[in-house]
Amino acid sequence: MWWYVGKRLLQAIPVVLGATLLIYAMVFLQPGDPITALFGEKPVSEAARANLEAQYNLDKPFIVQWLLFLGGALTGDLGVSYSGQPVADLIGRTFPVTVKLAVMALIIEAVLGIIAGFWAGLRRGKIFDSTMLVVSLLVIAVPIFVLGFMLQLVFGVKLHWAPATVGGDASIGKLILPAVVLGLVSFAYVLRLTRTSVIENLSADHVRTARAKGLPEGAVNRKHVLRNSLIPVVTFLGADLGTLMAGAIVTEGIFNVPGIGNLAYQAVQRGESPTVVSVVTVMVLVYVLMSLLVDLLYAALDPRIRYA
Amino acid sequence: MSERIEAATEPLLEITDLQVAFRAGKRDIPAVRGANLTVYPGQTVAIVGESGSGKSTTAHAIIDLLPGTGHVTGGTIRFDGRDITHLKRRQREAIRGSQIGLVPQDPMSNLNPLVRVGSQIKEALEANDIAKGNAADKRVVELLEEAGLPDAQARARQFPHEYSGGMRQRALIAMGLAARPKLLIADEPTSALDVTVQQQILDHLDSLTDDLGVAVLLITHDLGLAAERADHLVVMYKGQVVESGPALEILQHPQHPYSQRLIASAPSLASQRLTAQTRAEVRESAVKTAGEIVAEHEGDEFGGEATRIAVEAKELTKVFKLPAGGLGRTIDFTAVDEVSFSLRRGTTTAIVGESGSGKSTVARMVLDLLEPTSGAVEFDGVDISTLRNKKEQLAFRRRVQPVFQNPYASLDPMYSIYRSIEEPLRTHDIGSSKEREATIRDLLDKVSLPSAVMRRFPNELSGGQRQRVAIARALALQPEVIILDEAVSALDVLVQAQILNLLNDLQAELGLSYLFITHDLAVVRQIADEVVVMQKGRAVEQASVVQVFDHPREEYTRKLLDAIPGGSIDLAS
Repeated sequence: MWWYVGKRLLQAIPVVLGATLLIYAMVFLQPGDPITALFGEKPVSEAARANLEAQYNLDKPFIVQWLLFLGGALTGDLGVSYSGQPVADLIGRTFPVTVKLAVMALIIEAVLGIIAGFWAGLRRGKIFDSTMLVVSLLVIAVPIFVLGFMLQLVFGVKLHWAPATVGGDASIGKLILPAVVLGLVSFAYVLRLTRTSVIENLSADHVRTARAKGLPEGAVNRKHVLRNSLIPVVTFLGADLGTLMAGAIVTEGIFNVPGIGNLAYQAVQRGESPTVVSVVTVMVLVYVLMSLLVDLLYAALDPRIRYA
Repeated sequence: MSERIEAATEPLLEITDLQVAFRAGKRDIPAVRGANLTVYPGQTVAIVGESGSGKSTTAHAIIDLLPGTGHVTGGTIRFDGRDITHLKRRQREAIRGSQIGLVPQDPMSNLNPLVRVGSQIKEALEANDIAKGNAADKRVVELLEEAGLPDAQARARQFPHEYSGGMRQRALIAMGLAARPKLLIADEPTSALDVTVQQQILDHLDSLTDDLGVAVLLITHDLGLAAERADHLVVMYKGQVVESGPALEILQHPQHPYSQRLIASAPSLASQRLTAQTRAEVRESAVKTAGEIVAEHEGDEFGGEATRIAVEAKELTKVFKLPAGGLGRTIDFTAVDEVSFSLRRGTTTAIVGESGSGKSTVARMVLDLLEPTSGAVEFDGVDISTLRNKKEQLAFRRRVQPVFQNPYASLDPMYSIYRSIEEPLRTHDIGSSKEREATIRDLLDKVSLPSAVMRRFPNELSGGQRQRVAIARALALQPEVIILDEAVSALDVLVQAQILNLLNDLQAELGLSYLFITHDLAVVRQIADEVVVMQKGRAVEQASVVQVFDHPREEYTRKLLDAIPGGSIDLAS
């Protein structure tokens, strides 16, 4: 198994290289001049411009910029943002906030989605099931920023149940509302996936056998239906953590969360290649690690799967 | 299996005028229409019928495990002197397992793949308050041993996928008998297993239920098997019991036309009666036609000399490299070991063996879908591994066509029947679309399907109809050799008999040569001329059908023959 893990980690190297190169090219091709933007669209003296271009390697071809970035990243130096802060510090400050937000969203969607999906699957075609199907369809259909603003207005501004924006201090209490918004769409998917999976398992032969040996209905559902139904759901949840972190850009924007999404958004606007690329590299690594974790989890849940 | 019980005893199970229906939309579609049957304590009763006859539905109604929308609409089920037709949930759960056990049909799908086998049996003990905790663990091992599983202590901790099919069925038997029920419902308990395993398991089940005094309700489509194992037969047809009585009496003097047909088609029984003469006529006609075809083909694009031998396998060997854990380490597994045989034009060579014997690997090598490790397959005297240009390969494929076991999986569900049969014609660029349509009509006619079937899709056809379509598709290119890989194994006896007849007719008419691969010796007599018996990758015996059946040389062949259910039963006709 360790051989398998090693192989997967080695495979991550070309992925990271490719992703950073692609992002470098895209930021390079982005219209607008980062130096002018830095000076707030005011005229810049030639000397200052040359100076800054040299400092941020902007005078070199983009492939050289990329190689210089890679060289720095390998020695632990991610470069400096245009506002003069080391990128590593910026990421160190914002990343934990986003992780906290994404994990909260994941817990919310997993707990609610599995419970609702399990219940809906057991009572297929009944009123609860139909309601849940409609609700999940609505949640999937409405864009996340509409949901975000709506919940912010209703629960944050009108009812004051939760703070409407987060600001500097990202405590769990303050992150509740954005976490709900972030988890909503995935909640709908988890619900539907669990429901389908439960329905499928209910008609499995081994479930009938479990009934035939005299197990009470509750035990059959718990031990044989739910557990087997969770395999695809867990796989989905694992992959979803990566998506949640990347998808946090919109939610973090709405609720003004000082997370990595916000950082990336601002850096893209300013054309700050080192910051954008560093953030993306972190994201790619998160994705790679999560998908590896999912595969290992899959093997732990299903004894039929072994990696060599 | 046990002595007839005096009529004075109270019946254990008494089903009176049972009606079961499945709800489709607002309508009830009846599946069982007035079934009556009685089981006395310790007796073995078999319900026999084809799929769709309502035999499994009747059995599942007894313990209220009807699938989906199924429900009892009338009649009564009395068990142990009590009406159990409509029970509350708790009473129902109390009866299941402890009073009535179930051994289900397919051992592959009936164990939870995520739970250790031991734990699954332990559940049955705990749910019925037989034993708890450590005592239950010990009892599980005893039960597995009792069911004939070697090394039960270690086996109990394994997962179902680490068991073979026969072992799983033993585990399911241990589970069904765990709480010592008074009645055991065995629903086609061995139809998914090899014949020799089947016999061991049934023998074991027999002696076990005899010792424990458990009554058995055996559900099967195989009359031979039913007659061998049960004292009393109930024949079901279209949801009704058409005949019931002592097993031998029904077998020798069937009253109802359906029972008569069933007895005529059961391969295990019929092959005793199908005269060697019928087969000889088929062969004679086929060999003659084949000879004419050969004369026509002389010196065509394939290049080889047309010979009397269509296919010859010379010391075929296939070694698979299996991963053995660790870095790229492998162990060699010899699936096929120096197997040689020949297939003469217009005849059938059968390759018989249990699963894992390598017979399907041979088929794939003959089809040039798998490269042999050593040895060669010669078609018309030409080694097929030397056909390396596309044109020659295409010509070879055109003359050798396969029909596979599972008619559900070998037809593309998104293709209409027309398109499925047309595909090989298109691939080989034969005829205009008008001509192709005429060909397809003709092919459907050959396999006795109405031409209206063309526009339909595989899911609208029955298993037998689909297999006919697969045969029509194989015939589309006018091949000379057809490789039939377990082509009738997935079908009901009646349908099986029809398909075998069809294959015989087609062989006589078109001069085809068949390589017939099967695990079921019973059907071999109806179709084959030569038999190759395979065991663990080696051809242990090859001879003519008559010789193999009447004077088997090898111990293994004798074992296979003995395992044919009902083979020893005398038929009056």
